[in-house]
Amino acid sequence: MLFFNKIIYFYYREYKLNLSGFQDILTNIIFFFLSIFIFIFSIGPDKETISNIGLGIVWTLLLLSSTLSLRKFYQDDFESGNLLILHLNGFSFGFIAILKTLSHFFFVQVPFLISLPIASILLNIASDKLIYLFSSFAIGSLILSCLGSISSSMNLMNQKNFLLGSVIVMMLSIPVIIFSVGVINFEENFNSLINILFGILLIVFAINPWAGGLCLKLSLENS
Amino acid sequence: MDYVLNFHWKIVDLMFLINPNKFNQVADYIFRPILVLSILLFSLGLLFSFYLSPNDYQQGSSVRIMYVHVPSAWLALLTYGIMTLYSIAALAFKIPFGFIFNTAVAPIGAIFTLICIISGSLWGKPMWGTWWVWDARLTSVAILFIIYLIIIFINLSFENRILREKIVAIFILVGSINLPIIKFSVDWWNTLHQPATISKLSKPSIDPSMLTPLIIMTLAFMMIGLAIAILRIKTEIISRKSHLN
Repeated sequence: MLFFNKIIYFYYREYKLNLSGFQDILTNIIFFFLSIFIFIFSIGPDKETISNIGLGIVWTLLLLSSTLSLRKFYQDDFESGNLLILHLNGFSFGFIAILKTLSHFFFVQVPFLISLPIASILLNIASDKLIYLFSSFAIGSLILSCLGSISSSMNLMNQKNFLLGSVIVMMLSIPVIIFSVGVINFEENFNSLINILFGILLIVFAINPWAGGLCLKLSLENS
Repeated sequence: MDYVLNFHWKIVDLMFLINPNKFNQVADYIFRPILVLSILLFSLGLLFSFYLSPNDYQQGSSVRIMYVHVPSAWLALLTYGIMTLYSIAALAFKIPFGFIFNTAVAPIGAIFTLICIISGSLWGKPMWGTWWVWDARLTSVAILFIIYLIIIFINLSFENRILREKIVAIFILVGSINLPIIKFSVDWWNTLHQPATISKLSKPSIDPSMLTPLIIMTLAFMMIGLAIAILRIKTEIISRKSHLN
């Protein structure tokens, strides 16, 4: 029972932290919308073109704006020593990775999920396609959170090259982009593509505690 | 006589694959033969591929790009596969030679991948009409090149050596999911790139007059890569020893 209490307190703390730093998440969302504006200005306001390539643009920008906040994934807890306190309280490093991934999903990716309908209005996406966008993003954002956990835990001790974490996430997320944009364009085999996405999610979710936990442990040992 | 027996014993003993000191001893024995062999095989392979092999009935003389393209592609994959095995060995069985191998060999694999991509696009321009298509095989090989580059960048940007080499090994294991995608991309997707001509299970569908230079060039590329790898691994061992003291 104590263990579940600890998990509940962990999420209560994450909620407090994210609420006090809510302008960070809002800045991410503003980045997302501003990039949509810039894309439209650079392509031109032709409705047909925009609705053809709109979904690809939405997915690309979601990926880019979720990699913006990766620097804060573990870094604050690592520098303040809270990761070590969590570990001393009986959480293994792999379990910390899972908890932080889910917290990143709830507090950073879900606001994007809420802002998706507005983006689809701006990009002239048909409203019957919105359900495909929603379901693919609900799975894909969890995959992006897992990849972000892996790459940001790799780069905890990286003092020189801050961009490397974003590059790793973007490289690993190429299959996600391929299959999730495919989900929207081919409604007839929606089920098979969403199954592939779900399979990728299971693979990444299984790799995440191992790779992320090991990197956290190594960084704490060598700090 | 004693020399010969000693030499044989060192070749048979496979500990040199995981022990730096034994690797140094074996490398001293085999480095010069490998260098000579690589020069001989490379000149023989160039002779075969330029003068002793026939033109293709469709592609004409540009089929000779194959004798550079295919060996470098194989060796790029082979290098990454061996790096994956060494990463597993290094992380699971705590064999530090795996870390030395990963650090030393990653640039060689990157160069082989670059040779593969450049020769492929030079071959694609006269045959397909474009330098580059967004085909599954081409894209996955480009991702392999980026993976090699990231491995090199991780090696350059971390200060702490113990942390860096383990993170490189973890990243190699995570990135090794790309290997089966490259291998089977021509079978899974309908690509412009042709499927594998030479496979282990069936008789190759390539004529022996073209297979001979291909195999000779593959062996020559292997020997060249091995010679550079031996030099780089020895340098890495020496630099680590000097850092320890």
